Order: sequence, then C-alpha cells, then structure tokens
Amino acid sequence: MDTSKYKAIYLQEAKAHLSGIESGLLALERDPSGKETLDTLFRHYHSIKGMSASMGYTPIMRLAHAEEDLLDRLRKGSLALSGALISALLRCLDLKRDLVGKVESGEPLDASIDPFLEELASASRPGQATAASPSASLPGIAPGPQAGLRLSSIMRVEGRVFDELLATVGDLFMVLSSFRALTHDSRSVEFKDGVHLLGKTIGTLHGSILSARMLPIEDLAAGLPRIVRDLATGSGKEVSLYTEGMDISLDRAILEGLSSPLVHIIRNAIDHGIETGSERIASGKLSMGSIRVRAHARKDRAVIEVSDDGRGIQREALRRKAADRGIPLEKTASMPEKELLKLVCLPGLSTAEEVSETSGRGVGMDVVKDAIEGLGGTLEIESEEGKGTKVVLELPRTTLITKALIVGTGLERFLVPISKIEKVVETSTEEIADGTFGYEGARLPVVPLASIFGLPEKNGGTTTLVLVDGGLALGQGGLSRLAALKVDSFGAEIDAYVKPLLPPISRLWGASGMTMMVDGTPVFLLDVQQIISRAVEGA
Amino acid sequence: MPPKRVLIADDTEFFRAALKDILARAGYEVVGEASNGAEAIELARTLRPDLVLLDVVMPIKNGIEAAKAISALKLPIKIVMCTSLGYEPIVAEAVKAGASGYIIKPPSEAKVLAALNAL
Repeated sequence: MDTSKYKAIYLQEAKAHLSGIESGLLALERDPSGKETLDTLFRHYHSIKGMSASMGYTPIMRLAHAEEDLLDRLRKGSLALSGALISALLRCLDLKRDLVGKVESGEPLDASIDPFLEELASASRPGQATAASPSASLPGIAPGPQAGLRLSSIMRVEGRVFDELLATVGDLFMVLSSFRALTHDSRSVEFKDGVHLLGKTIGTLHGSILSARMLPIEDLAAGLPRIVRDLATGSGKEVSLYTEGMDISLDRAILEGLSSPLVHIIRNAIDHGIETGSERIASGKLSMGSIRVRAHARKDRAVIEVSDDGRGIQREALRRKAADRGIPLEKTASMPEKELLKLVCLPGLSTAEEVSETSGRGVGMDVVKDAIEGLGGTLEIESEEGKGTKVVLELPRTTLITKALIVGTGLERFLVPISKIEKVVETSTEEIADGTFGYEGARLPVVPLASIFGLPEKNGGTTTLVLVDGGLALGQGGLSRLAALKVDSFGAEIDAYVKPLLPPISRLWGASGMTMMVDGTPVFLLDVQQIISRAVEGA
Repeated sequence: MPPKRVLIADDTEFFRAALKDILARAGYEVVGEASNGAEAIELARTLRPDLVLLDVVMPIKNGIEAAKAISALKLPIKIVMCTSLGYEPIVAEAVKAGASGYIIKPPSEAKVLAALNAL
C-alpha cells in the first residue's frame, strides 16, 4: 500500500478515534455496565489497530491490538472492569496520542511500549470466563436509523484555513482604511460611494468568516472530565464535574486561548479550593466535591463561570499575603469585597498554605488574568468562606478585528485600542510640567510612551495626550481610572486584524498583539493597562 | 462489457479511500460508500451494485448481519468480506451468510484483485 498518500486520512481518523476512546473510557468508569460503550470502544481500538497495521506503525498497532483484546474480554464478561484497568487504558491512550503526534511530525516511533503492555496485563487479571461464540463477540448490534445516500452539509476544513481567511480580511480592512483616508481629500462622489460599498462588502465577508470560525465550548470542554479526574486522583480528592451551556460557541482563536486559563482555574479549584474528603465531612459537606462550568451568552460576549464548593478564599489569609506584597493591612481593611478578592490576581500571591505538586504555590491567577485580558475579556472572583469560589470570565465571542488608533512617538508607530480611549487632547508642555494633567477636576498621571519604550522623547511646543482607561490603579486610591499617555502624534482610526502574540514572543511587555500595516511593517497593539500600572507603580 | 459497479462498506475512511483507489485503478466503478452495516444494506438495495465489499466490524449493523440482509434481497450482488487478521472464523460464518470471498486487511492491490478475480 502506498502509505504516504493515506497519512493525512490516517492522522485525521486516528485522532477522532483517540478522542472517542477517551470519552468512552470515562463513560465506562461512570457506568461499567454500558454495553454500547464497550462495543463502541472496541470498534475504536479495532479501527486504530487496522489502520496502523496498514501504515506500518507497529507500536501503535501492538498497543491497540492488546487493548482490543481487553475490550473483547470485557464485553464477553470474562474480565471485570477496575479503576486500575481504566487508568492503564488512559495511560496507553496518552502514549498513542504521543505516537500519533510523532507520525504527524515525521519522527521515528521509538517509544518503548512494553511497560505499558505489562501494565495492561497486570491490570487485567482473568476472572470467570463465560463461553461465547465468535459471532457473539461482534459489536454493534443495535437498531439504527435507516440511512440514505446523502452528502453531509458539514465540511471538514483545517482550522488554519480560517485563520488565513480572517488574516486576509484583516488585510482588506487595512486597505479599506487607506482608501477611506483618501476619500477625505477626494471630490469624486463615485469614489466615495465605491469605498462605502467596499466597506460594506468587506464587513459582510468578515461576518461570514467569523461565524464559520465559531466552535462550541463543548469542543474544548470535552477534555475536562479527564483533566478533573487526573487532578483529583493526584491530590487524593473526589471531585465531580458538571457542565452547562457548552453549546455556546466562540471564535476558535478565543477558545484556544481559553484552554490553558480554564485548566489553571480548575487546577486551583481542585488543589486549593476543594477540601479532602474527611475535611468536607467534618464541615458537613458531601465527601465528593464538585466543580461546575457554566456558560451563557450575554449579547456578543460569552460568560463562563467556574465554581467549586470548596473552602472559599480566606479573607484574613489573603490580607496577610497582600501585606507581604506591600499592600498595608489598613488599606485592605476598608476595601470593598470585590476589590479585595481581586488581590488574588496580584503576581506571585497565593493563599494556599501548602505547596502542591500540580499548581505549585497557586502561582498563576495573575497569569490567568493576563491571558483572559489578552483575549479582550475580564475576570472576576466571587467567594464565600466555607462555601466555595466562583471565577467569572467574560469573553468576546468573536474578535481579532480591533478598532484602534495609530499613535506615533519618534519614528515608531503603535496602536491603542479604541475601547480603552476616553479622549485625545492637545496641550502645551507647560500644562504637564509636573507630570500630571488636569482633567475634569482630577490630576491624571502623564505617562510618556517614548520613555516607556526607551525611545527619544520630543519636548517643547504642543504635545498630544491620549486619555486612557488604565484599569484598577491601586496607587491612586480609586480616584480615577484614567491616565494620560503622552505621544508625539496620532493618525487614523483603523480596523486592525490583531494577531495574538505567539511564541517566542508571547510575553512581550507592553503589547497584547500585533498587526501588519498595508506597507508590511509590523505594529504592536499596546497593552494599556500593563503600561499604565507599571508606570504609575514605578513613579 | 461495462465496468463492474462496486459498493464499499467500511466504518473507516482510511480503508474506504484505499479500496477505492485500488478498485479505480483496476477499472472498477465505485458507485457508493457506506460507513455502517445498515447503510450498506440500504445502498445495496437502492444502487444495485454488482459487488459489495463489506467490512466485518462496523457500527449499527456488523458485516455479517449486513451480508445476511443483502443476500436476502435476492439480487445478483456478490459479497466479499474485508477483515483483519484473526477474524478468519468469522469469515466462515460470513460465507454461510452469503459471502463469496474475503480479503484480509490491509488491502493490497494484489490481494484485492486476487479475491475479485476468483469470484
């Protein structure tokens, strides 16, 4: 068989079978008697075995063959299901995922599978054998709907195709922006009408592509049961997961970006929120903890709540930790509940007393918050001591085209998201001589963009201030959230296709994304909140 | 003589694609593809192929059940079972159910043509 030709089909189907195996094994653990689950699992292993044998992927074939045998024995009742067996099968699943990944990247399949085969063997001690004829071992005897000859209306398209489509529309938006700028100087009505029509058409195209990029949260959440199980087992706790509203759909880039923050929140809940079984019983709770992930749509945004029924955030411990980080106890004493709980997101702060293997010292709520805000979302925490904690994420459902203002300092150009801008004002250098700018009765801190990025600063004459929402500025006593970003000039407002920063520059200070201008120069979208809080703290 | 019209039934796209290529190269016409046993029966009834290649392990209805049902249609359709190594005892049952031949996966060109020429 000419294998190279079938590799793509192999990879696609093998991955689908592996996800099927994962959900099947977890379903089996909940309901060990599920006859249909056993049959379906058997077929998944059988298919992987057959395909891998044809492709000459011997290690994958051997694993699947051993697993298929086990499943057959489970179906016949000659083997009893145990937690150890499920765990062994899950570990073999991970190994197969690795191996399929190696197939994909063209690496040699040199993993040693024997220890895994041995684990499978030892986890499956023979039980009572019941005689079964070969035909009884055939799976899939269930009445099904009558099938006809239909072409599915669903197409499978690789995700990156949509990324490229969206990037192209982003380029169109940039071209449109420069045309729009030209209409200001043009007297031609036809030209203006044409540009207007072009804008509408690109807008429609953008809308269609955005809706094609939407994926249900389910696609992400499908992996959660396994993660919860592994984390709970690892910390010796019993935790069940409930989900709701997983049919809400989001842009795949946002969903992708949500993946690691979501896991981190759940990890924190299991490690630090949910108590051990004995602690829970002592405080009158069920020994099994629960985590709920609920989603609902709010206009064009999605709200995702992750709640646990654990011990909640201990206010006093939190205040002590904040004091260690330089926020005096007197200050936190009068803080409103909501603001106080936000302290959990201070870098390096954790209220977990003990060090745990999976989430270290609870490190990461700051990282989680950064990641969510990087997606254009917000994060809020609600918590009741003894009852549990709820993390509420609000995210845009579609994004990546951001309205932004071009600002310049020296020869550099940057983008400021329009959503963060209160006002743009021209003022004289004398007005801001003391480093503040008077606006609506308050003195706003002036933050020169040039000095932030170590660029030469222009002085004298008039200067341009972009008044921006700097978020929660702890140093200001909550007087104003505004700060004045000092720039040399500002240009057009554009619709920019902002690409999230990906490795190796995923943590570039002061920027939350980048875009290519029509002339091909990269321009960074400023992370206003980060810039302002650093500047104000450092002052 | 017009080319033989073939229906392929396998729950794996991988094997359907492989069989399709082999058959097309050998001058057969693939008139339909089914991904489970029930679909195979329905397509055999409506498309009336000369030949059905039936995988054994399939959802909803397995290959043996499909072979029985297709034979029961009393149409001039030859059935060839496709199966993995280790399932030979089941093939014997399939022959009882009306199959005329079998192919052991993976389906190489030589194996498939040998099985089809023997019909």
